Amino acid sequence: MKRWIGPLAVLMACAAATHAAALHFAPSFIMSRAMEALAARGIALHRFTSPQRVTPQSQSVVRSSPDLYYALCRYDLANPGTQISVRMGAWPDYQSLSFFAAQTDNFATIRGTGREVVVRLLALGSAPEDGAIVSPTAKGVILIRRLAPDAEAFAAATTAGQADSCRITWRDRIAAPSLD
Amino acid sequence: MWRSLTYLGAVIAGSLLGLGSALYMAGLWPGANTLAFGNVDVGGWRADFSTGSDAADPYTRARVARHGLLALAKSEAVYLTRTTDDAGQPLSEDCSYRLTGGAMPAGWWSVTLYDAKSMLPANTDNALSIDASRAGAGPWEAVIASERPAEATHWISSRNAGNFDLTLRLYMPDPALLEAPAQTLSAPRIERLACGGKA
Repeated sequence: MKRWIGPLAVLMACAAATHAAALHFAPSFIMSRAMEALAARGIALHRFTSPQRVTPQSQSVVRSSPDLYYALCRYDLANPGTQISVRMGAWPDYQSLSFFAAQTDNFATIRGTGREVVVRLLALGSAPEDGAIVSPTAKGVILIRRLAPDAEAFAAATTAGQADSCRITWRDRIAAPSLD
Repeated sequence: MWRSLTYLGAVIAGSLLGLGSALYMAGLWPGANTLAFGNVDVGGWRADFSTGSDAADPYTRARVARHGLLALAKSEAVYLTRTTDDAGQPLSEDCSYRLTGGAMPAGWWSVTLYDAKSMLPANTDNALSIDASRAGAGPWEAVIASERPAEATHWISSRNAGNFDLTLRLYMPDPALLEAPAQTLSAPRIERLACGGKA
């Protein structure tokens, strides 16, 4: 009996380690695969891509709502000297600007109030600043949702989306003091 | 030699056991249940209000990544999912249902039908959901069926859905809903009308 204690202990240790590792890495792995799929479908890095209305034929993310307009921007802030400048255009109905980390956490959301929203996303480890959000991971996704339950509203949301922007910039050029 | 093989077998068996149990417990096992989980249960509609937040445990985070990627945190939206009718039977494309409800404690709401893979069912019926803008302010009713019913104001198509579930989205939820969901939300009811053409 004693000779099985060692292998049994190894079995249990491997089971616990694999269990914990699978849970730890699964969300970021799934997110990474989803982002690759989105990239393959034309969702750009550091740019909002004009979305198609969500239908069974166009859906690319699980449990998308056919009643919402989704504009996605993938980001990569691996270089700490960079930041993402984001603008969400005005929209009279419900809209939100939400930020998702690589492990899928929704670490910030700004609800629209009808007016344009401008915010900066800073790299992991940056000091907090007014008008800026610090990303908890180097990579992630920025998502604009607009309420658009029919084709007419979706067309209007698409027009409003022309004012959206998501672009990577150098922090020092943005933060340089004005001489006026 | 025998001893080495025993330890090698223990490593392989332990790794498989750990991986399999993690996938099963996190709802990642093929065919596993979708988002109908969590500590919130309002009339059979299930939710975990830690979805999307850093308070989510590893199992919730993994399950949401698979079945509800890019879900918002509860301050902006909550998601409740239901897989059975009021009699406790699984929702199926082979049956038709009457979905009824009223006003919701949220700024906007919708009910959307998804198949077992958490995708919209592969049909072209353009009848995938009902939402607050179509339902109006008072009591509302929709029929869920694989073919458009002759008399129904609102229709949600289950064509090509197989066994499906419904997700209730509540955007801009009232604070009371987050505090006491069972006391605040009058959840939609799902009455089975007929199966396989029989009432």
